[in-house]
Amino acid sequence: MTVEQGQSPLGRVNCKVEKGVLHCRFTGRWTIDTVSQEASRLSWKRGLADEKDIIKVSFEIGEGAEWDSALVVFIRSCLIDCKESKLSVDMSRLPSGLCKLFLMTKEKLVEKVELDGSEQGFLTAVGELVFAVAEATLSSVHFLGEWTLSLFRMFRFKSRFRPSDFLESCRACGAAALPIVTLVSFLTGLTMAFVGSVQLAKFNARIYVADLVSLAMVREMGGLMVAIVMAGRTGAAFAAELGNMKLNEEIDSLRTFGISPMDFLILPRTLALFVMIPMLTLYADVVGMLGGMVVGLFVMDFSFHHYIEQTQTALSSMWDIYSGLAKTIVFGGIIGMVGCQKGLNCGNDSAALGNAVTSAVVTSITLVVVADALFEVFYNVMGWR
Amino acid sequence: MNSEANNISSPIVSAKGVSLSYGDYVVLHDVTFNAIRGQALVVMGGSGCGKSTLLKSLVGLLEPVSGAIRYGDQDFWASDNQKRDEISRRFGILYQGGALWSSMSLLENVSLPLEMFTELSPKEVREIAEYKLSLVGLSGFGDFRPAQLSGGMRKRGGLARAMSLDPEILFFDEPSAGLDPLSSRRLDDLILELKETLGITFIVVTHELPSIFAIADDSIFLDAESKTLLACGHPATLRDECSEDKVRHFLLRQSNFS
Repeated sequence: MTVEQGQSPLGRVNCKVEKGVLHCRFTGRWTIDTVSQEASRLSWKRGLADEKDIIKVSFEIGEGAEWDSALVVFIRSCLIDCKESKLSVDMSRLPSGLCKLFLMTKEKLVEKVELDGSEQGFLTAVGELVFAVAEATLSSVHFLGEWTLSLFRMFRFKSRFRPSDFLESCRACGAAALPIVTLVSFLTGLTMAFVGSVQLAKFNARIYVADLVSLAMVREMGGLMVAIVMAGRTGAAFAAELGNMKLNEEIDSLRTFGISPMDFLILPRTLALFVMIPMLTLYADVVGMLGGMVVGLFVMDFSFHHYIEQTQTALSSMWDIYSGLAKTIVFGGIIGMVGCQKGLNCGNDSAALGNAVTSAVVTSITLVVVADALFEVFYNVMGWR
Repeated sequence: MNSEANNISSPIVSAKGVSLSYGDYVVLHDVTFNAIRGQALVVMGGSGCGKSTLLKSLVGLLEPVSGAIRYGDQDFWASDNQKRDEISRRFGILYQGGALWSSMSLLENVSLPLEMFTELSPKEVREIAEYKLSLVGLSGFGDFRPAQLSGGMRKRGGLARAMSLDPEILFFDEPSAGLDPLSSRRLDDLILELKETLGITFIVVTHELPSIFAIADDSIFLDAESKTLLACGHPATLRDECSEDKVRHFLLRQSNFS
């Protein structure tokens, strides 16, 4: 083996038997930054296995050897081997500092503390999943009930939130969301106009792009786009905010003052979403139609007047607008309540907070899409169109 | 004030046979103690012995599995929500990190309980809140947000808020946790002063020996292993005379493996 200049050679263990005593001598560099000590482990095992008549193992450290945790761990594994083969150990020739390191960890040498429930079979896992789902459902229903009670308290002027909190929430989830809602809905309208124009040209019915864009925005896309943006923006913010307040014991301190977090924190936030989402949807509808009009005027060369008139005819029944807005009120409720509930039920560490936020966004988007589909089916069955 | 207040040694808070658990996991078993009006009771014990859990159930955040907690002659957990809220208004709590409401300024934090539970005019509320802040040495910081304050200041802010409704009892959860020795000493002095001048009863959860000896009139020792109350009495008496080795070792700061 070649040895680099200025460095002691790699760590090795020399095993020698004298009068039934196995002498293990550690030499060279036994530090964690040197290459693996597997070779030494082999020579120790061989030293132990070769000699049948040893009764004692003695450890010592050679001249100029360097050591750190690597040696400690190695000797610890040797000690476990000795314990298994019932050999007595002599560590008196090791440096006192090293011996102390063993003493400090002595009681933890072999025993392992079993973590509760670390091993579970398939059936246990299924059972626990069922209980978890049942509990989650129950807590959602509980939350909805509490929220409703809190709403009644508000109507009887017994609820205790500050109007300024409500207005601040309205600003945060309404006005502050305008730029992103503008961008998303404008581009949605624009894209639909492009896609539609290609298809409608095949039927020589290009002017119906105005109908397509306006109806799609008003009935479906406006509300859905706003709801998705809000779930990512506001739902996540609610969950993070309330989760963090829970970690900081702020929720507990409200409770112990006799202030219900439901009345004080959750009601203003959810009500703000209830109010702001329909308004944002109306705005998104208009911006989306503008996006369609940009394509109509500059790509398809319709006159401004012609396009507007066509849009007006398409929207002659107000029902299309109302049905779209009715849905968004439910979307607002879903996003606000899911966000708040996930935040309030957040666990007690920062990983749990991350999970709460993720789950708030995923759950609310899923529920919004499901609710949207249910609404369409419902309208269809009732023949409202 | 009712007649009970005149009887100086009557317990203002008492727990009788209280057992606490999280789900199936039992934290404390059969805890009984009294806190005397105008005194400081220290709840001590090693980490994980259920000190904070006991505090939670005393202030209404965790219902005991069995046993009763009484404030004066009222059974706290047997009362309905409204009654419990009323009792709650007689005490203030200082949480470990202060737990100031992060969306509000320090002054708003202290004024909110006053706005909610009193008929005072906004001007009066402001005056009282500013007075409470100056009581804990934070006058002039009213417009600061909790995030802009240091740990010690947040804690003192939390104390000002806990005192906003002039409570009869103040609960402290680990007042010296995360504070340097000097700040924690100042907090101890503040507790002693408030006890003397306002006659407030203190229930303090802590494991800091200097604080324990500085403020306690009485103490209880909770044990993590047996999940029970192991000893009660004045900490100095317990240190010198307690029959339980664990309690003496704790108070003398001796390690039991030596």
